Amino acid sequence: MTQLSSETFDANARAALNDAQLRGALRNATSLFGKRRLEAARSLENWEELRTQARAIKDETLLHLDRYLEEFTANAEKAGVQIHWARDAAEANGIICRLARERGARLAVKAKSMATEEIHLNAALEANGIEAIETDLGEYIIQLAHETPSHIIAPAIHKTRGQIAELFTEKLGIEKTDDIAQLTITARQVLRDKFAAADLGISGVNFAVAETGTILILENEGNIRFTTSLPKTHVALMGIEKVIPRFADLEVFLKLLPRSGTGQHLTAYQSLITGTKRNADDEGPDELHIILLDNGRSRMLTHPTTRQALACIRCGACLNACPVYQQIGGHAYGSVYPGPIGAVITPQLFGLSKAAQLPFASSLCGACREVCPVKIDIPELLLHLRAEIKETSKVRDQRSEPVRPNRAEQVAFRLWAAVMARPRLYELSGKVFRFLQRSAARDGAIRRVNGLLGRLAPPLAAWTGTRDLRPIEPETFREYWRRAAHD
Amino acid sequence: MTDREMANLQNDARAEILQSIRTRLAESAVLNARRSPTLPLAATVPFVSDERSLVETFKQQLESVGGHCIVVSDESELTTALKHVVGEIEANGLETRRVALSDSPLLGVISRDLEAQGHEIAVTPSASDLFQFDVGITSAQAAIAETGTLVLEQARERNRLVSLLPPVHIAIVNAGDICATMSEAITRARKESDTSSAITFITGPSRTADIELTLTIGVHGPKELYVIVYRTNH
Repeated sequence: MTQLSSETFDANARAALNDAQLRGALRNATSLFGKRRLEAARSLENWEELRTQARAIKDETLLHLDRYLEEFTANAEKAGVQIHWARDAAEANGIICRLARERGARLAVKAKSMATEEIHLNAALEANGIEAIETDLGEYIIQLAHETPSHIIAPAIHKTRGQIAELFTEKLGIEKTDDIAQLTITARQVLRDKFAAADLGISGVNFAVAETGTILILENEGNIRFTTSLPKTHVALMGIEKVIPRFADLEVFLKLLPRSGTGQHLTAYQSLITGTKRNADDEGPDELHIILLDNGRSRMLTHPTTRQALACIRCGACLNACPVYQQIGGHAYGSVYPGPIGAVITPQLFGLSKAAQLPFASSLCGACREVCPVKIDIPELLLHLRAEIKETSKVRDQRSEPVRPNRAEQVAFRLWAAVMARPRLYELSGKVFRFLQRSAARDGAIRRVNGLLGRLAPPLAAWTGTRDLRPIEPETFREYWRRAAHD
Repeated sequence: MTDREMANLQNDARAEILQSIRTRLAESAVLNARRSPTLPLAATVPFVSDERSLVETFKQQLESVGGHCIVVSDESELTTALKHVVGEIEANGLETRRVALSDSPLLGVISRDLEAQGHEIAVTPSASDLFQFDVGITSAQAAIAETGTLVLEQARERNRLVSLLPPVHIAIVNAGDICATMSEAITRARKESDTSSAITFITGPSRTADIELTLTIGVHGPKELYVIVYRTNH
C-alpha cells in the first residue's frame, strides 16, 4: 500500500467514502467505543471534576515544562536510567539505532507506541539491519500487511477477520481459519518466539513522573510486559509532554484514560517502571534508556491555544466522537495522528503546509471537546490553525512553506465583510437576491436557477451537489421589526 | 562518531530543547499570567473500609473482568483451595503438569503439596524454561478492591515472569493487603518505587479486541487468572 499523505486529504477522504467495508467497520468501532466510553464515564460521580483536575495538572506541567523535565531526568538517572534527548525524528532514530548496533542487536520487539510511529522508527531500524517486530496484535497485523494504523486504540479495525486470515495464511503459513480465537493463538505463538529471541525491547510511555523518575505504560494484551521484562535492553521513547509532576497525579489519569479509550475501568496491565533492577540477579532488563523527543513539541508552547494539544493523553475518544472520522477513518488523514486531535497535532508537528487541509476537515460541531478527558478545546485550536494557515502567505515560519492563498476565496470573503459591515448595503443586497429568486423559490428551496435545477456553477456547485439552496425569507427580521413597531 | 562527539551532541540537544521550551514559554508570558496555576490533588471517593466488604468488592470486580476469586478463612486452607483451583483448570481442558512458583515464602507448603500430587515444580525457572510451564503461582503484595486489581512489587518477590509467561496465573493475596481504592494503592506504590524497579498492576486475564472488536482472552499474557484471598487470624 502506498503511504497516504496529509497533503492529499481530500482525495484520501473521497476514496474512503467509497469503501463500503471500511465504513461499516468504522460505524461499528466508533459507535461501540463511544457507547462504552459514556457508560464508563457515568460510573464515576466526579467525572467532570477529574477532567478539570487532569487538565490543571497538564497545564501546570506545560507552564514549567523545563523544570519538570529536569526533575524527571535527574530522578530517573538516580534510579539507573540513561537519558537521551532528541531534537527531531532523525536524532531519535539515530540514538536508538546506535544503541541497537552497539549491543549487536539483530531483533527488536516493539510495544505499541505512537511516538515510534511518528518518527518512523521501524524503517530506520530496518535500514540498520535490525528486524523490528510489532507485538500488539493490531499493530502486528498491519505490520504484516505493510499498512498503517487506522485508529489510535484499535490499529487494525479496517481489516476483516477474513482478510487477517488470508494474511496469516500467506505470511505465517497457517491453515485458513475464520476463527478469531485461533488467529489470536497463532499470533501469540509466533510472537512468543520473538520475545524469547529479542535483544532489544522498545516501548512508548504514557506518563512519566517527575518526582520519582517513574514511567507508566498501560495495556491489555501483556506484550508491553514482555517487551519491558525479557530483552536485556529496554528503550522507551517519550514526547517531552508526557511528564507529570507527582506520583499521586497518576490516579486521575488512570481513571480517565482507560475509560475514555476503550471504556474499561482499568486496562488489564499497568507497568510502573522506576529505573533498572537494583540487584544483578533480579528479573528485568539490565539497561533502561529513555529518549525524550521534542520534534516540534516545544514550538507548540508558544501560545496557550496551541499548547493545549500537548495535554493530549492519546485516548482516541475524539476520533470515535467525530462525525468526519466516523465516515472516513484514520488513513485519510495521512498521519500517524488521525481524527480531530490529529488535525491539530499533525500541522503543528510537521508544518502547516504539509497538512493544510486537515484543520478544515471538521464541521466544528464540538463533539471532540465534549469527550476529551483533558478538556482540549479542539474547535478553538482548529480555528486558530485555520487562521494561521490563511496568514502563512504573509508569515513564514521555519518549517512551513507558505500555503498558496486562494484568490477567489479572498475576494469572496472581502466582499462578504464589506456587505456585512454596511447595514444599508446588506439590506439592499437582500432585496436584490429576493427579486432574483422570485420564480425559483418553492417549498423552502430554490428549485430553478437559470434553467438549471437548483445547481450552482463551480466552485459553488460543491455546496448544491448534495443540498438544496435555501431561499432568502420573504420578510427579513428588520422588515418585520419595522412593521411591528408601526402596528 | 567518537564518544566525546556523541556526548557533546547530547549536551547540545538537551540544552537546545530546554532553551526552546523556555523561549516559547517566555513568548506567551503575558497570556500565561492571566491564569493562576493551581495543582489540585485527586479527590477520592470515600470507601467503606470494612475488610469483609473489601474482599467482596475485590472478588466482584475481578470476576467482572473475567478473573476468578476464591476466599478462604485462613492460611491453612490455602492448599485445599489450590487443589480446587487446579481441578477447575483441568476441567477447563488446560494443562497443569508443570507448575512454576515465585520465591514467596508463602508458597513453601503449597510447593510440597503440589509435588506430592505429581506436578512438576520449579521455583523461578529461567525465562527460556518458563515458556514451557503450564501454571505460574505468585503472591501479590497488595490488591485494589474498587478495580479488582493485583499489585505485584519487584523488590518483594521474583514474580515478574512467573505471573506473565505461563497460560495460567494463580495469585495468593492476604485479605489485609487489599486497599479500598486506586488512590491508596498509588500512595503505597509511591513509597515502593524507591526499591522496586517494576511494579505491575494486573486486572484480569490478558485481553484484546484488535480483530473485529471481538473480545479475545489470553493474547500474550495468561488466559486464566485465579486469585485466592486468605484472611489472617488476628
